[in-house]
Amino acid sequence: MAGLVHPATTTIPAEASKTAHTKAEEKTDYMNLPCPIPFEELQREALMSLKPETFEGLRFDFTKGLNQKFSLSHSASMGPTEIPSQSAETIKIPTAHYEFGANFIDPNLMLIGRVLTDGRLNARVKWDLTDNLTVKANAQLTNEPHMSHGMFNFDYKGKDYRSQFQMGNGALFGASYIQSVTPHLFLGGEVFWAGQHRKSGLGYAARYETDKMVAAGQVASTGMVALSYVQKVSEKVSLASDFMYNYITKDVTSSAGYDYILRQCRLRGKIDSNGCTTAYLEERLNMGLNFILSAEIDHRKKDYKFGFGLTVG
Amino acid sequence: MASRVSLKTKGKGGKGSKGSDEKSAAQCLKEWSTWAMKKAKVATHYGFIPLVIIIGMNSEPKPQLYQLLSPV
Repeated sequence: MAGLVHPATTTIPAEASKTAHTKAEEKTDYMNLPCPIPFEELQREALMSLKPETFEGLRFDFTKGLNQKFSLSHSASMGPTEIPSQSAETIKIPTAHYEFGANFIDPNLMLIGRVLTDGRLNARVKWDLTDNLTVKANAQLTNEPHMSHGMFNFDYKGKDYRSQFQMGNGALFGASYIQSVTPHLFLGGEVFWAGQHRKSGLGYAARYETDKMVAAGQVASTGMVALSYVQKVSEKVSLASDFMYNYITKDVTSSAGYDYILRQCRLRGKIDSNGCTTAYLEERLNMGLNFILSAEIDHRKKDYKFGFGLTVG
Repeated sequence: MASRVSLKTKGKGGKGSKGSDEKSAAQCLKEWSTWAMKKAKVATHYGFIPLVIIIGMNSEPKPQLYQLLSPV
C-alpha cells in the first residue's frame, strides 16, 4: 500500500491534503476537509488564463527592493487611453502616466500604495490579526469629490469554511460564505446591499476541482450567471473557457483561451464571442528582466490595441 | 442658532431634515461620522504612502536613506 501522507500538521495546504485524500482509496474523511479558497477567488484560474491585463502603448515598470519586505516601484506608461463616448466609435486620447508605488510585504501585514501624477491613490492593506482573522482594506482616492471608493473586508477562516464581511462607502455591505462539502466540491453564497442605489442581491457559487480541472459557476440575483472551466492539459498548458450570461439583459459572452507556462515565457491567448481576440506574452529575458507584448483586436468595434513593455525587478 | 442649524443642513444636502431646530442623536452621529470620514480620507490620501515608507524604512534590515532615491 502506498504510504499515506501523515496529516499531523495543522496547516496543510489544500493541495497536499487533496492528494492525501485521493491516495486514500476513496475513503473521504468528512471531518478533515480542506479549507476552501476565498469566495472572490472562486474563478481565479479562469480569470488568470482568460483575462490578462492587456494594455496599449508603452509600459515600463521598475521595482526596486530595499530589503526583503520593502520595495518601491516606478511605473511609466504612455499610450492612447479610451474615453467613453456616446457614439459607436471609440475615441482615444494619448496620455502619459507616472505611478509611484511603495510595498511593504510581511507575513502578517501587507501594505501596497500606488499614487499617480494626477493625485489618484490606490491603497491596499491586508492585516492578519490572528491565524484565522484577516482584515483587508482597499481604497481608490481621488481629488475629485464623490469619486473616491473604499472597502473594508473582515475574513474569518474556519477549518473547512471561510466567511467574509464587507463594508464599503456609499453604504455598501456584503457578506459571503464558502464551505467545503467534499474534498473536491466547494459551495458558497453571498449577499450584498448597496444603500446608495437601494439595491440588494443574493448569489450562489459552486466550484469543483481536481488535479486536472477546475469547474466553477456563479449565479447572482443581479442577473449574472458565470460559468468557467479550466483543464490542465499538461504541466505547461492549460485550456480555459468561460460563459457569462445575464438573464435580465439577455447578454451573452463566451470565451475560450489557452495559457502556456513555459520556462522562459508565459503566453496567454483567448478568443471571444464578441469578436475580440487577445494575446499576452511575458518573456523572461534575464533574471528580473521581463519583456511584455500585449495585443487585443476587436473585430466588431474595429479597435486594435497593441502594447509593449519592459518590467525590471 | 437658527442660521447655524440651517448651514449644517445645507452642508448635508438636507437629507432627513424636517426644517426644525432639533437635532436628533442619529443626525448628530451622522454629521460627526461624515466629518470624520472626510478627515480620514484626506489623511489617507496624503499619509498612506509616507506611512508605508516609514514602516518599510524601520523594518529589519534597515535600509539606508540614499537607497530610497538612487536607481541602483
